[in-house]
Amino acid sequence: MSDDAIADGPVTGKPDPVLEVRGLEKAFGGLQVTDDVDLDVERGTITGLIGPNGAGKSTLFNLVSGFYEPDGGTVRVNGTAVTGAEPHAVANAGLVRTFQTPRKLEGMTVREAMLVGPQHQTGESVLSVFTNRGQVVAEERANLERAMETLERFEIARFADTPATELSGGQMKLVELARATMTDPDILLLDEPIAGVNPTLANKLKGFIRDLNDDGITFLVIEHDMDFIMDLADPIVVLDQGSVLVEGDPGSVRTDDRVIDAYLGGPLDE
Amino acid sequence: MTNPIRAWYAGLTDAESNVAWSVGVLFVLFVLGVASGVINLSYGLYLLALAGMYVLLSLGLNVHWGYAGLIDFSVAAFWGLGAYGTALVSARDSPLGFTVDPIVGLVVGLALAAAVAVIIGIPTLRLRSDYLAIATLGLAEVIRSVINNQSTWTNGPSGILGLPLFFGTWPILGDVPRGAPTYALDVCLVAVFVGVTYWALRRLHLSPWGRTVRTIRADEDLAEALGKNAFRFKMEAFVVGCVVMALAGVFYAHLQLAITPGALDPTQTFYVWIAVILGGSGSNRGAFFGGLVLVLIVQGTRFLGGVLPSNFPSAAVRLLVIGVLIIAVMYARQEGVLPAQHELITPGTTEGNDE
Ligand SMILES: Nc1ncnc2c1ncn2[C@@H]1O[C@H](COP(=O)(O)OP(=O)(O)OP(=O)(O)O)[C@@H](O)[C@H]1O
Ligand SMILES: [Mg+2]
Repeated sequence: MSDDAIADGPVTGKPDPVLEVRGLEKAFGGLQVTDDVDLDVERGTITGLIGPNGAGKSTLFNLVSGFYEPDGGTVRVNGTAVTGAEPHAVANAGLVRTFQTPRKLEGMTVREAMLVGPQHQTGESVLSVFTNRGQVVAEERANLERAMETLERFEIARFADTPATELSGGQMKLVELARATMTDPDILLLDEPIAGVNPTLANKLKGFIRDLNDDGITFLVIEHDMDFIMDLADPIVVLDQGSVLVEGDPGSVRTDDRVIDAYLGGPLDE
Repeated sequence: MTNPIRAWYAGLTDAESNVAWSVGVLFVLFVLGVASGVINLSYGLYLLALAGMYVLLSLGLNVHWGYAGLIDFSVAAFWGLGAYGTALVSARDSPLGFTVDPIVGLVVGLALAAAVAVIIGIPTLRLRSDYLAIATLGLAEVIRSVINNQSTWTNGPSGILGLPLFFGTWPILGDVPRGAPTYALDVCLVAVFVGVTYWALRRLHLSPWGRTVRTIRADEDLAEALGKNAFRFKMEAFVVGCVVMALAGVFYAHLQLAITPGALDPTQTFYVWIAVILGGSGSNRGAFFGGLVLVLIVQGTRFLGGVLPSNFPSAAVRLLVIGVLIIAVMYARQEGVLPAQHELITPGTTEGNDE
C-alpha cells in the first residue's frame, strides 16, 4: 500500500464501516455481473459508486439490499451479517435503498406514502390496532408531524395532499429521499438520484443529501453525472465489468488513466 | 342546531348520495312489498339475512383483493369451511357425533378456515401473486372433492342436515316459533356480524397495517425496501379475509339448517368477485354495496322467475344480467361505484380525516 490518494481496487479495513462487502459474486447465465467485489463504506461518508453502463452497479445494490441472492461472498451492515437476507431484514439492519426508476404508489397521497417509512410501528400489528389504540394514535400523530416537517425540509410540503401519481419525476425523487429518511437508516443507497432531474432540482438534492449526511446518515450513491458525484462524494469507487477498479478521492479518480480507459473517453468529460 | 343526518348527507360524494338514494328507495319498495303481501314475510326476512351474508363475503374478499391485491379464487371454499366447520360439530346428523353449541361451532368454523388459510398461504404468498390465484383455484376443487368423497367424515354428497338454529339453546330466543320470528333473529344476528366485521375491518384498514398492506399491493419491492415484511402482512390479510368468509359460511349453515357440497359451487366465488369489483376494490362501503347488489341479482332474477313463463331460461338470464352489468360498470366507472378514496391514516390524527 502507498499513500496515494487512489488505490488499485477497493480500500478495505476501514476503522468503522457501516457496510462491508467481501468476495461478492453474482452471475446471470454465463455473465459474471459481480466478480469478487470487496467494498467498505465508512460511517459518515458520502461514497460515490460510478462505472460505465452495465458495470454492475445496480446489481451490486440489489445484492447488498437483499433483492438478489448472491452466488458467494458476504455482506455486513453495522457488523451484522445480512448475506442472503430478505430485503426487509436488511432494511431493519439499517440499510435502505432507493430504486433507479422511481416507484409511484397507486392511490396514495404524498403524506400517506411518507408514513410508510417509520419502522416497527405499533399499528402495523393486527392485534395492537385493537388492543393498543392509544399508542397507535399517539405514534400516528407523531409520525405525521415528522412527515410534515420532513416534507417542509425538502420543500415539498405543498404536495402533502397530492396523489403520488400526479408528481413529476423530479418531485417523486424528492419524495423518495424524504420517505427513505423516515426509516431512520444508518446508510442510504441512492441509485441515480438525479437521473431525469433538472439542474436546479439536482443542486437542491445535493444540498439535502449533504444536510442529511451532517445529521449522521451515511450514503452510497450511484450517479452518472460526473460533476455532480465528484462534487458530492468522497471517496469514489469505480466499478468496471463487475469488479472494483479503483477507489480514491474525486480529483485522483477523475484523472486516473484506468478510469478513463474504462469509460473509453465516454461520460467522464460530459 | 346541528342535524347529524343532514351533516352526514352533505359530506357524501355524488356517487355516495346516489347509492344512498337507490338503497333507500329499494328498501322502501322492499318494505312495501312485504307489507302488501307481494313478498312473503318469511321470505323477505330470509332475503335480508342472505343479503347480510353476501355483504360479509364481499367484505372478506375486499380484504384480499381490495386491501392486499391477493387474487383468491376460493371464496366459496372458505365459506364452505366455515359452514362445514360448524355443521360437523353442532348438527344432529353430523357423522362426527358431536352436538356442541353453535357458538362453539362458530369458533371451530373460523379456526378451520384460518388454519387452511395459513397452510395454503405459506407456500404461495412468498411467490408472485398469480401463484396464489392458481393455488386457490385448485384448493377450491380439493376442498369440494374432499367433502364429496370423505363420506365417513362429511356424509359426502348428501350433506349434513339437522343443524340447530344459532340461538336454539338460548333461554328465551331459543323458544320463538319457527318461521318469520326465527328469520327475524337471523337478520339480527347477521346485522351484528356485519356490524362488528365492518367496524373491525375499517379500523384495520385505516391504520398503519392497512397502509402497509396497500403499499405492498402497489409495489411489493418498495415495501420490502422500506423494511416491511411483505409475506407477514399478506399472510395476515389472507387469514383475516378467509375468517370473514368463513363467518358468512357459519351464518349460512345456521340459516339453512343444512349444508351440502353443492353449495360450494365455484360460481359463488365469481359472484363475490363481481360484487367487490362493482362496488369498488379497496373500499368497505363499496364491498357492502356490491354485496347488496349481488343478492338483488341472484335472488331478484329468481323472484322474477315466478312471474315469467315457466319455460323462461332464468338461470341463463341471471348470468347474462350479471355479465352486462359488470361490463357496463367497468365501462362507465372503472374504479367501481364507490371506490376507495380515504387516506389510510388513523382517524383523529389529521384535520379532515376524523370519523
Ligand atoms: N436480472 C438480471 N438478469 C440478467 N441479466 C441482468 C439482470 N440484472 C442485470 N443484468 C445484467 O447485468 C449487467 C449489469 O447490470 P446493472 O444494471 O447492474 O448495470 P449498471 O452498472 O447499473 O448499469 P447502468 O449504469 O446502465 O444502470 C448488465 O449486462 C445487465 O444486462
Ligand atoms: Mg443501474
